[in-house]
Amino acid sequence: MKIEEMNFEESIKKLEEIVKKLEDENISLEESMKNFEMGIKLSSSCLKKLNEAEGKIEKLTRSEDGKLIAKELDLEEEN
Amino acid sequence: MKDYRILKTKVYTVSELNQEIRKNLESGYPDVWIEGEVSNFYFHEKKHMYFDLKDESSKIKVVMFRHSNKDLLFEIEEGLHILINGYVSAYEKRGEYQVIALRARPVGRGALILAFEQLKARLEKKGYFKHEHKKKIPVLPGRIGLVTSTGGSVIRDIILVLKERFDNFHLIARNVNVQGATSSDEVCDAIDDLCEYGVDVIILARGGGSLEDLWAFNTEKVADKIYKCPIPLISAIGHETDYTISDFVADKRAATPSVAGEVVILNKKEMINSLRIINRRIRSLVQSRINIYSKEAAFLIKRRIFLKSETLLGRFIQNTGELKIRLLGSKEKLIGARKNKVVDLCKIVDRRNIIKRIYINRIALKTLDMKLFFVIKNYISRNKNKLKNLLGKIGERNPSAVIKRGFALLYGIPGNESIKGIKDAKINQKIKVLLKDGILKVKVFDKINKKLELGLKDEN
Repeated sequence: MKIEEMNFEESIKKLEEIVKKLEDENISLEESMKNFEMGIKLSSSCLKKLNEAEGKIEKLTRSEDGKLIAKELDLEEEN
Repeated sequence: MKDYRILKTKVYTVSELNQEIRKNLESGYPDVWIEGEVSNFYFHEKKHMYFDLKDESSKIKVVMFRHSNKDLLFEIEEGLHILINGYVSAYEKRGEYQVIALRARPVGRGALILAFEQLKARLEKKGYFKHEHKKKIPVLPGRIGLVTSTGGSVIRDIILVLKERFDNFHLIARNVNVQGATSSDEVCDAIDDLCEYGVDVIILARGGGSLEDLWAFNTEKVADKIYKCPIPLISAIGHETDYTISDFVADKRAATPSVAGEVVILNKKEMINSLRIINRRIRSLVQSRINIYSKEAAFLIKRRIFLKSETLLGRFIQNTGELKIRLLGSKEKLIGARKNKVVDLCKIVDRRNIIKRIYINRIALKTLDMKLFFVIKNYISRNKNKLKNLLGKIGERNPSAVIKRGFALLYGIPGNESIKGIKDAKINQKIKVLLKDGILKVKVFDKINKKLELGLKDEN
């Protein structure tokens, strides 16, 4: 699976696998370099994912024509 | 037999008598309370209930019609000890008397508790609480759906916790009445709306309250909706000690709404930290591996051919140096000799010629100097070529040079794993053969287990 296609959980799981592989002393140099590259790429893509979400608090309502719409939620107004 | 007509007594038809008995019973027992154990329960087409109430020595027929039983919270079932209220009547068609129950309640415990236990047992039997049905809560949900009263304090608590843990979360709240007659229907609609709009996880939240207050979350409707909800759902109803049916059906129970905030999203700071730790661990693991290999390489270089080539190299370097010194020395000697000659000549030759002689000698010296320079330069460059050859030979130890010498490297297709021995390849497996001028793709058709002995000892 490509790094871009992995979700956060899969990436974390893969990272754990990579660390485990790298801890194995019998791994070849070639293999360890491959895993190293993958690991660095994965950890930076995870960091990116942690920061890329946009912070929003919305309220879901149905408009008159039956469509669902999310509007910004004002807690003061709700009270 | 006497003719009964002569006796002038009233003669009933069966229907007439049954009707009169019914009327008498209804006026004689218009409002009775009866306690007993349910037996022979029959729920006709899920409309009318027919059962007997009995004690140790006697029993009575009971009917509870649809309009009376439709609002019962608990289920009347075999063996249940209940108290009913109604009136006594007769079923004229059969000439049977019976109690028409208008109300019923369990004896010994509250109707709500009983209803809760009954629903819980029934859903458990249906497999609604089974672990294998529980969906995993995503670690990093993009959109968090929340079903609660948006005017309440619960939503504020949740937002506070979320902000603490993950500053850039996306929450989509869907307002519902969390108690009251319409509550359970509203909760079901809200779950549907959030599923339709598209969220990664749903939180069902409500603050603490009595069993009655929390009732919407103890209904079969809501339980069904949660069970069939395709999106992972967290139930966060009431205080830690409150358990609702929705808690059991949900993919995860959070003890309080605030806990739901903690459950639904990871702590960003902690996560960034652990990612950094993983990153550092990977780097240090690879670094230590490189160190080990460097040490091995250093050790290898000191062996055999490498050692030999080092001595050879050293000898060349030494030779070049010595030669340079020797040449330079002879140059000094030559110049010195000339100088002496000039001095001698000066003594002999006419003073008028001296300047001219000196000039000529200077040119001669310069030419000599140039010649010497070229001799040295040539020598050094010749030795440089020898050095290069030697370094080239050392270079042949690396794989690409090995290929240039006519050897091949094998890699499996598609894994690209290096094939070092026959155990690494399977019959019919495709293999890439790397040669100096290109790649051959071949298929393994046989394996012969025989070790190659020629020259291998020296190589390894």
